[in-house]
Amino acid sequence: MRQQSVPCVDGDVIRLDGVTKTYQAGPPALADVSMSVATGEVVAIMGPSGSGKSTLLNLIAGLDRPTAGTVTVAGRRLDALGESALARFRARHVGIIFQFFNLLDDLTVEDNVLLPAQLAGASRKQARARAGELLARMGIDQHKNAYPARLSGGERQRVAIARALVNSPELLLADEPTGALDTATGQEIGTLLRQLNEGGQTLVLVTHDPALAGRYAARTVRLVDGQLAGVGVGVPA
Amino acid sequence: MSWLGPIRTATGGLLRHKVQAVVIGMVLVVSTASATLAFALLAASNAPFARAFAAQRGADVTVTVNAARASSAELAATKTLGGVTAAAGPFGEATVQVQAGGQPFGQLVLAGRASPGGALDDLVLNAGHWPDGPGQVVLDASPGPGQGGQGVGLGQGGGAQLGSTLSVTGVPGAPALTVVGFANSITNTADGWVTPGEIARLRGPGTPPSAQMLYRFTSAGSYAQVRADVAAVTRALPPGAVAGAGSWLAAQDAETGNGAIMEPFVVAFALIGLVMAVLIVGNVVSGAVVAGYRRIGVLKSIGLTPAQVVVAYLSRVGGPALAGCLAGVVVGNLLAVSVLHQSSAAYGVGSQQVPWWASVAAPVGMLALTALAAFGSALRAGRLSAAEAIAAGRAPRAGRGYAAHRLANRLGLPRPIGLGLAAPFARPARTLVSLAAIAFGATAVIFAFGLHSSLSRAAASQTLSAAVPVQIQQFGPGAGPQQFPDGAQDAAVTAALRAQPGTRYDVAVYLDQVKLPGIAQGVNAQAFGGDASWIGYGVIAGHWYDAPGEVDVNTAFLTQSGLAVGDNATVMIGTHPVTVRIAGEVFHPSHQPTLFGSVQTLPGLATTANLQEYYVGLRPGTSVSAYIQAVNARLGSGSPWGATGPDGGQFYQIASALIGLLALMVAVAAGLGVLNTVLMTTRDRVHDLGIFKALGMRPGQMLTMVVCWIAGPAVIAAVIAAPAAVALNTATIGAMAGTAHTGIPASFTQVFPPSRLALLSLAALAIAAAGALLPAGWAARARPATALRAE
Repeated sequence: MRQQSVPCVDGDVIRLDGVTKTYQAGPPALADVSMSVATGEVVAIMGPSGSGKSTLLNLIAGLDRPTAGTVTVAGRRLDALGESALARFRARHVGIIFQFFNLLDDLTVEDNVLLPAQLAGASRKQARARAGELLARMGIDQHKNAYPARLSGGERQRVAIARALVNSPELLLADEPTGALDTATGQEIGTLLRQLNEGGQTLVLVTHDPALAGRYAARTVRLVDGQLAGVGVGVPA
Repeated sequence: MSWLGPIRTATGGLLRHKVQAVVIGMVLVVSTASATLAFALLAASNAPFARAFAAQRGADVTVTVNAARASSAELAATKTLGGVTAAAGPFGEATVQVQAGGQPFGQLVLAGRASPGGALDDLVLNAGHWPDGPGQVVLDASPGPGQGGQGVGLGQGGGAQLGSTLSVTGVPGAPALTVVGFANSITNTADGWVTPGEIARLRGPGTPPSAQMLYRFTSAGSYAQVRADVAAVTRALPPGAVAGAGSWLAAQDAETGNGAIMEPFVVAFALIGLVMAVLIVGNVVSGAVVAGYRRIGVLKSIGLTPAQVVVAYLSRVGGPALAGCLAGVVVGNLLAVSVLHQSSAAYGVGSQQVPWWASVAAPVGMLALTALAAFGSALRAGRLSAAEAIAAGRAPRAGRGYAAHRLANRLGLPRPIGLGLAAPFARPARTLVSLAAIAFGATAVIFAFGLHSSLSRAAASQTLSAAVPVQIQQFGPGAGPQQFPDGAQDAAVTAALRAQPGTRYDVAVYLDQVKLPGIAQGVNAQAFGGDASWIGYGVIAGHWYDAPGEVDVNTAFLTQSGLAVGDNATVMIGTHPVTVRIAGEVFHPSHQPTLFGSVQTLPGLATTANLQEYYVGLRPGTSVSAYIQAVNARLGSGSPWGATGPDGGQFYQIASALIGLLALMVAVAAGLGVLNTVLMTTRDRVHDLGIFKALGMRPGQMLTMVVCWIAGPAVIAAVIAAPAAVALNTATIGAMAGTAHTGIPASFTQVFPPSRLALLSLAALAIAAAGALLPAGWAARARPATALRAE
């Protein structure tokens, strides 16, 4: 169910120009951040707690709006889109994996995976076929009729990854994808993500774990107090 | 920690959750206002005449005297007769024929009074001001007949309004009177009031001066006692001085009938409003506490004792609840001004107020209910461990609603709709309360429409307005004996009607009293001088008479005689017995037994003295007002006859207005209940809403999903409300008819054809949508990142 990609400027899937995000009074969560992510790249965003990592991810995903600056993803200016257009854009071009999975407890595994496809208007038959394919790929198709509460953390994160991929997005965003998992499970998930990237998936990874960043990211962007502190080159494991 | 600490903590939570506090406050405002109004209406319906009689110092007896035969001193002396406890007067009196806009308006008995107040018959000025100069008149606003007989008030055909000009005919100079106000006399002592000096100008040449005296007696509780009291006054005055008398009992009978008829539907709405207020307050308040469970858990974890937790959360809901109750009493009293103004008009009393106990009972009751609803939930929270409270404050119990979601997905509905329809199953108790609130609201709305239709049919049937838009009545003295119209004047009416192109039907109506064995009082007999089948009396049983010897009767006739449709009866017309067969029972609400027949079946009734009026039916497309003007022009100003429209049925108009207002209040309260439910669910599921948005749910889809949360219960509520409203309407109309001592035609309650009922049932969906749209909009507009951060 591959959707047509939107041509990117200079091969960048993501471009942030002078982005600032301020919440009410107080110092900005992000201050004048400019960065880009190329197609097929794996970039890790690192920094201590409160450095603005999740804020940056939210802006890239269109879950929030910058106070200043522009956010361009897959060729579209997200800061210029209305809520409805942003939602459509997210459904088709962005997959999000959360630290605590954010699965819907009252839907089965299969229904959780189907949901983004159904919201994007895909046909039932196509969506089910794609969901089945992804669940098999994640190795959890035997749990398709189970509820998330009955799965382990690793299995839930696999479901979340399958859900994020169901609409074949250009961009996959992962916010601490292994933060709620034990080491071994975290490594399994990390391996999965790397396999996705090897298949051409662009991936932005927020993590506070240097080992994870070092193992899977080609480039690391550091944030400190809402500002870029430096860019490093990671060595994939 | 001191006790002030928990309360401050609760206040902090309150300020943060302003929306919830506002909703609690608004629900209490509406519920308390509804309760205040409900209590006020129930009190107003309880013996309204008796209480108004006491408040307005009503007169037991109004005596009209020939002032030429009794001096002022003699009249004053009657005030100290044995048995007289209070007296007022003499007030000059004049009986006048008036026209309005060149059309006959009626006969008015006018009294001359310097002010509306007094030791007796304290008049209540409902509109305008008291006459303060010549050429001004205040009319009686009572819906029933005045002492003079015609009672013009607000409901009379032709309806005078403030500023209307009435021309007095048959008096030198044809003086004009401008209507400057409307007032209520609890015993209808006059049809209108002018300044004392005006009376002399309004008397026709050769008309003896008359005056009215008002009395209260020690004993006047029955017609026999009243007759004895009048006899005592008559004996105290010179022979021939007393020209007539009216008693409070007759006024009570006329006005109490209307009040008793109102009571069933007032009680029905009052009870619906109260029950719904209880439901919604309970749901809102307990929900507010449950919504704070997580916070309670956090507070307990930092050291609040269970008792302090209970106090904290009682304070949390208590603040907005108290504010809401106080505001609700004020709103209820303000609303009651309009509502009681209408009910007092319908009951025929001067004014009604909200009793003090209603303004106390409503807020105290609502606060007690709030405390009860909050206490249970707060007590439970206080007993939970910190961890349990935190867990209980999160999403609903696992497992609930899962099957509904599976089914919704299998049905192939658009996903937002499926998700929305399945969601209520996760919180069954809350869903049930919302369903009940919507059902009550929809029942009230459907019931209101049905009641309005039923009462409209009753009004049309009682006033004959549908089939008889024009009546020819006597408005002036005739040329015959005792000022009845003579044969030539009667023939002129028939000629005028036949000459008028718009005339389709016309029939002369004769009225007299006949006797029937088994009925102590006389029986009113209406005889028609031609085909009367077109008049459209509502048939309750049997059929309209269509053969010689057949008559129709009203319910009072059958009740008092013990006869039934199909029976024969022998009536005495004068001294002649006439056997008739009862062909049918017709809708003619009255304590007075009445029978209807042709002049052939009821021989002897068709005399000039008995000729009451003519009923006229018009051809389709004929303008009623133009027809009336044309006929009056043909008859001329010298004719005692004049064309007029039927009485508009003021009682029914007032009842309809009250019904509309009450239904609206109940519907608004139901909508608020829905708003609160959807708001609480939105807050419970804010994190899930964030996930939906993150996965690509658009604002429009979010709005659809949230509205669908309540759509399912609304559909079920509609299915419940429709038959409930039909049953309630049937029961209420039946009760109203019972208090009016009449049966009703089946058509009065057959006001819900399937298509109409289906359409009205949409009221449930409308209430649900109205209540859900605001929180649905908020949910749709919320930023995904903000929602995801919420726990």
